[in-house]
Amino acid sequence: MNNPTSQLLLNVKDLTIRFGGLYALNKINFQMNSHESLGMIGPNGSGKSTFVNVLTGHFTPLSGEMFFANQTMLGQSSHKLVEMGLCRTYQAVRVFGNLTVQRNIDISSLLLQDAGISKDQYELYLDWLNLKPVLNKLAKDITLFEQRKLELMMRLTLKPKLLMLDEPVGGLATSEVNEMIQLLRELKQYTSIFVIEHTMRVIKELADRVVVLIAGEKIADGPPAEILMNQRVINEYLGSAHA
Amino acid sequence: MKIKSQYWLLILVLLLLPFLAKDNRFLGFILGITYLNVFWASGMNILYGFVGLMPLMFAAISGIAAYALLYFIAEWHISFWFALPIATLFAAFVGVLLGLPSLRLKGFYFTLCSLIIQSTLTLAFIFFPKFTNGDTGINQISPPLWMNEPIKGYVFEVILAILAVLGIGFSFLIYHSKLGQRFIAIKEDDVLAESLGVNVVINRVIAFFIVSIYAAIGGCFYATYIGFISPRSFDVLSSLNIWLFVAFGGKATIAGPVIGALLLAPLPFLLQSLEAYKDILSGILIILITLLMPGGIYGTYLAWVNSKK
Amino acid sequence: MDSLLLLIASTVSTGLLLGAIFALVAAGVTIVYGCIWLPNASNGQFFLLSALVAWGLTSSYGLNSFTACLIVLLAGVVLSLIFEKLLFRRLYGVPDRNISYFVITLGLTQIMSGLFSMTFGKWSDQFSLPPLIPGVTMIGPFPMTNNRILVLVIAYLSLALLFVLLRYHPLGRAVRAVFQNREAALLRGVNVHSIYKISFVLGSTIIYLGGLLYALAYSFDLTVAWTMSITAFAIMIVGGPGSVIGALVIGLVFGFTQAIVSNFTSPTVATFSYLIAMLLILLVKPNGLFLK
Repeated sequence: MNNPTSQLLLNVKDLTIRFGGLYALNKINFQMNSHESLGMIGPNGSGKSTFVNVLTGHFTPLSGEMFFANQTMLGQSSHKLVEMGLCRTYQAVRVFGNLTVQRNIDISSLLLQDAGISKDQYELYLDWLNLKPVLNKLAKDITLFEQRKLELMMRLTLKPKLLMLDEPVGGLATSEVNEMIQLLRELKQYTSIFVIEHTMRVIKELADRVVVLIAGEKIADGPPAEILMNQRVINEYLGSAHA
Repeated sequence: MKIKSQYWLLILVLLLLPFLAKDNRFLGFILGITYLNVFWASGMNILYGFVGLMPLMFAAISGIAAYALLYFIAEWHISFWFALPIATLFAAFVGVLLGLPSLRLKGFYFTLCSLIIQSTLTLAFIFFPKFTNGDTGINQISPPLWMNEPIKGYVFEVILAILAVLGIGFSFLIYHSKLGQRFIAIKEDDVLAESLGVNVVINRVIAFFIVSIYAAIGGCFYATYIGFISPRSFDVLSSLNIWLFVAFGGKATIAGPVIGALLLAPLPFLLQSLEAYKDILSGILIILITLLMPGGIYGTYLAWVNSKK
Repeated sequence: MDSLLLLIASTVSTGLLLGAIFALVAAGVTIVYGCIWLPNASNGQFFLLSALVAWGLTSSYGLNSFTACLIVLLAGVVLSLIFEKLLFRRLYGVPDRNISYFVITLGLTQIMSGLFSMTFGKWSDQFSLPPLIPGVTMIGPFPMTNNRILVLVIAYLSLALLFVLLRYHPLGRAVRAVFQNREAALLRGVNVHSIYKISFVLGSTIIYLGGLLYALAYSFDLTVAWTMSITAFAIMIVGGPGSVIGALVIGLVFGFTQAIVSNFTSPTVATFSYLIAMLLILLVKPNGLFLK
């Protein structure tokens, strides 16, 4: 899973999309290498979810380019991007509620069944995420935290090169948030992560670099420490509210 | 993939019944019609139960196949067995072509489109008598030949029994295959399925194609078994009827549609005095099932069993 | 020349009348779909029901049309309340209820159509209502029965009343608010379930009214049920599900289409074209022409 030689994973150039008269994303530029963990923050409505949706094939951009591991992403449908190694989770947790946890995991490994993860890796992930106790429960009957972990397990069976996590700690209790941050830190050994959040708290623990998005524009790009000191970011977003 | 012993028993019973009804042509006929409906219901279940789309144009596709079959037999002078695959593929392709644009629509809109296409095709059957003889219908359809002898009597029912069993078996295979798992994922949450690498659109088309094949084959056998077809044989009520077998028996299970068809298909023939009330009774049943027993008989039974654990 | 003018005049008057009736029924269907998410496939059967019962009252009990219509409307309100309670209330909280409702109303269509065949169908082939008022008026050189003029007036007054109700009356605005944004309406303290009930009764009553007006102006048979259902659905889809303006405008368009087509060929052709229009809109612009 670990790529010893880092490659250019994401290359986004002048990405623009418009809804009606409003530019939801305006000439977004950045790059991501496979050895990095990236974060994206911005207030609600800044375009973060739109960004994830464009990158994962749900929306077609107006202009600009995006490449995943040097292959173009333009025009690729969501499932094709998953084949290429790009996975995502949703802001609101999404699992197959009426099916058991085991079934959920089995279904997600359908795509790569023969080329997928080995039995050892499977057991490893299962233990690491502590999902064995709930394998036979219906996915809608487990706790939110367990569902979030299930989401991770389902993505891992797809051998992702990059996992985009849209607000991964949303709805979790404080203690669970800490646990989740720890899990995401450990997740980095299995895949590159790109965390989208609206507070710095989670991101500064996980990201090597943070992209700040406000009103559809990238206004800063750098290590968390730098971002926290960035005057413009403080004025336009963080302000007096503690991150 | 274990097949429980009670299913083998059921298959055996289904295959043996025609021999028991050998001399009673009335019962034999009911059996034959029921087998056709079991076959059809198993097919519709693949789209309705597994993928979650309700295809009300099912009967119209059967109609296209039946009319095409008769045309090929009459014009090209080929036997039923050669015309069958040609008519089936033809009808299935037409079905997919017509249904394709609506496959990306959600639930209710798909059903509405399907209903419109069904109604349009029924009107086409009536108003283009060149192929269909309009509302008068086509009668004196001869049964298929086997070794130069027409298939009659209980032999035909045996063939239909085999057809029904094959239909059930095939849907069982699909259910337990990767394809079936993808279908279920799409039904449960198509956005999630797509984000896990499932090509939702293509899989829906595949499901639709498979279901159209079922509809078409059934239509061909229906025409030669009954000996008479008309646009009324393949109208909205017919589609709704088959849907009712699936919903009543229990969608998304293998046994459900079989149970539904076995229980409901014989009724119009056994209760001939109530025939005038047929529409009313099935309408009531449709409402009752939707409101009170969405899982159907078998589905409700399974849920009850599970809750006991 | 004269006969051409007469043809045009009669086509125009038919177009106006049919258009208004179509608009009323379609408005009824679209209000119920937009507000409750209930696509009523049996709307044509309701349409026919009111017409048939009114016929029964006038022909068997000798009531005059006016009284018969009033009785039917009142009974219709009661019937709507019963249907709402028995059939539809149960599913109010369910997210995907529109398809279940569609299936339920398909079942209802079967039941009602079967009942009609067994009862009214056995008593007569054609039905009509005696006119509200006697006499003929000349509009310029064109004669028109006073009855038909009155029906036309009532139809357009009803449409105007409906429009005013939805736009200015608090209940009407609540109905629209629920259609536009359910959660926001809930937050504003609107009792959504009782709005559902009101909009169902309102929608159904308009459909009953449409049936009565049709029966007053034309003679009809049992097949109007399914042609009306198709027409109303087509208008709703083409206009935009939930859009009353769409229902009004497209209703008029279809009404005129029907009037013009009837001069050349069977009205079934018009019905066929509504089916095609509905299909095209569903595939190309599912939100219809008048919704954003």
